[in-house]
Amino acid sequence: MLILAWRSIWRHRTRSIGAAFAVGFTVWMGLAYFGLTNAIRDGMYVNLTDTVGHAQIHVRGYRDIRDFREAVIADAAALRRRLDATFPGAQVAAALEVPTLLSGEDRARGVLLAGLDHPPALRDRFAAKYVREGRLPHPDDPDGIALGGALARTLQVKLGDTVYAYAPGTDGTGASAYTVVGILHFPDPTQDARSALLSLPAAQDLAAPGAVSRFELHVLEFRRTTDDAALVPLRARLQDALGRDVVVETWRETYPSLSNLERSLRPMLVFFIGLFFVLAGLLVVNTIYLSVIERTREFGVVIALGARAGLVMRMVLAESLLLCTAGAAAGLALGLATVARLARGYAYPGSWGDVVEAYGLPRVLYASIGSADIAIIVAFVIGIGVLAALWPARVAGKLEPVEAMRFVA
Amino acid sequence: MEPLVRVRGLTKIYRLDGQQTTALREVDLEIAPGEFTAIAGPSGSGKSTLLHLIGGLDHPTAGEVWLGGERIDRFDHNRLAELRLRNFGFVFQAYNLIPVLSALENASFVLELQGRPRQEREQRARSALADLGIGDLWNRRPNQLSGGQQQRVAVARALAAAPRVILADEPTANLDGLTGLALIDEMKQLNREHGVTFVVATHDPRLLERVRRIIHLEDGRIVRDETRAT
Repeated sequence: MLILAWRSIWRHRTRSIGAAFAVGFTVWMGLAYFGLTNAIRDGMYVNLTDTVGHAQIHVRGYRDIRDFREAVIADAAALRRRLDATFPGAQVAAALEVPTLLSGEDRARGVLLAGLDHPPALRDRFAAKYVREGRLPHPDDPDGIALGGALARTLQVKLGDTVYAYAPGTDGTGASAYTVVGILHFPDPTQDARSALLSLPAAQDLAAPGAVSRFELHVLEFRRTTDDAALVPLRARLQDALGRDVVVETWRETYPSLSNLERSLRPMLVFFIGLFFVLAGLLVVNTIYLSVIERTREFGVVIALGARAGLVMRMVLAESLLLCTAGAAAGLALGLATVARLARGYAYPGSWGDVVEAYGLPRVLYASIGSADIAIIVAFVIGIGVLAALWPARVAGKLEPVEAMRFVA
Repeated sequence: MEPLVRVRGLTKIYRLDGQQTTALREVDLEIAPGEFTAIAGPSGSGKSTLLHLIGGLDHPTAGEVWLGGERIDRFDHNRLAELRLRNFGFVFQAYNLIPVLSALENASFVLELQGRPRQEREQRARSALADLGIGDLWNRRPNQLSGGQQQRVAVARALAAAPRVILADEPTANLDGLTGLALIDEMKQLNREHGVTFVVATHDPRLLERVRRIIHLEDGRIVRDETRAT
């Protein structure tokens, strides 16, 4: 019966090729779409985790603590030693965030002053991405400060000018003067208007000697969203080693809204790919239905010879599935080849690339595709193969043999 | 001898657009196993309708159809399909071969529907094609065969499944004189050699001359049931 179904597909060659092409094109497009979106998702992932780390360590209950003195890890050096012992060679960044009143000569603003201590590789990436003028404060620089571009405009300061910081500290209010050494640019306007960066020792001198707000653990090998699966056992291991005074969170737990944004990409993508498959499915329905109508007489003969309605319906279903499979096989081969090529790296041309960079993504992105993505595409193909056949199969299955054999197309 | 096919009071009325057409009127008939019976009559006399009702292709409006000891006129669609598959072979006026299948594949089609293994299907289909003198044309598609050859493939398709009854509806109507005569002789030979019961609806005088029993239909009624020496 499969031979009959296969040969029947090609009776009306042009129409069948058209329908198979539609399925193949949709499969190719779906795979390419998955590959490109995964590239953007992975780019977002790298961007996010470069900025916030893969896991963070805070004082337990830090979200509910209002007193700055209780919100910091007081003996940062001791915790760092335990962290290094648990996870030797880890890329660890430390940050002390201090709510601060920052003023220029004439204006002042409330900002979140961050003292950062990044490993060199991350520091270089950060600088390449966000420094618009000047530089970041050196790791041991006691006087340098970098300001978000919007904040610098608000304070009416430029490189080389002096700004003054007043901050609540663990030992009372701190005050200090800094020289603007860098102007930054953050894509998020709020962040651009509220960010000021110091070296970690400078921030500690201002507000909390020896303390940090958080440690960030950066696993540089994790470059894809799918790598995240390994974070859960890692977090558990760290939590056991570091004790109950601190809490270890994956970046998804620390920033659930970012995590949800990243996760919402996939259902949206599947929905849109599904829509394209529905359109391709309509062509398959048309092809199979016309094929059934044109062969009414033949189906009448098949039923007269003793085929049950169920068998006739399965014959139509087989034709639809074979047609979809033929198109899908070509689409799958082309799609995988396309993704394999894009997996070596690609950049969006011209202004598209600028848009990508404006959102903080790398200029060069790397497409990828997982077995789950392929399984979704295959499921869509089978789905439209079956759904497209339902109506024509029902029509064929309900034919009366005598009437059908009198049918003239 | 117990009849193989028996119909009692068989009536078929077609209703179309509010109009009634009576195709068969209370027909009574018995056909013994191994008989070669012709149903004769002019166009519209009800020959095809009678054949369809005997073969379970349609339901009668009234009356009974029996095959062996089983009443079949009340079977649902699926039971009728199974009944046709296991008991009847059909030969149609327009051959009705499947155009994308070869002669061998067409001849083995019913066996495939029956779920027979490939080897058995091929062997029986080849044998049936050989019996009808077209064994060497097994690989040809219907459009590569003449009308007579196509009708032989159709007979082979009916014969290969070893049915109890072969119902043939105007099998020679589309064939030229010589081809038609040859086909009639081959069907009669199969009847003699294999003991297959043939019921043939025809108004072809060449065929009627060669048949022992002829049931004459007119206006949906049997007007004469004639048995003669051939």
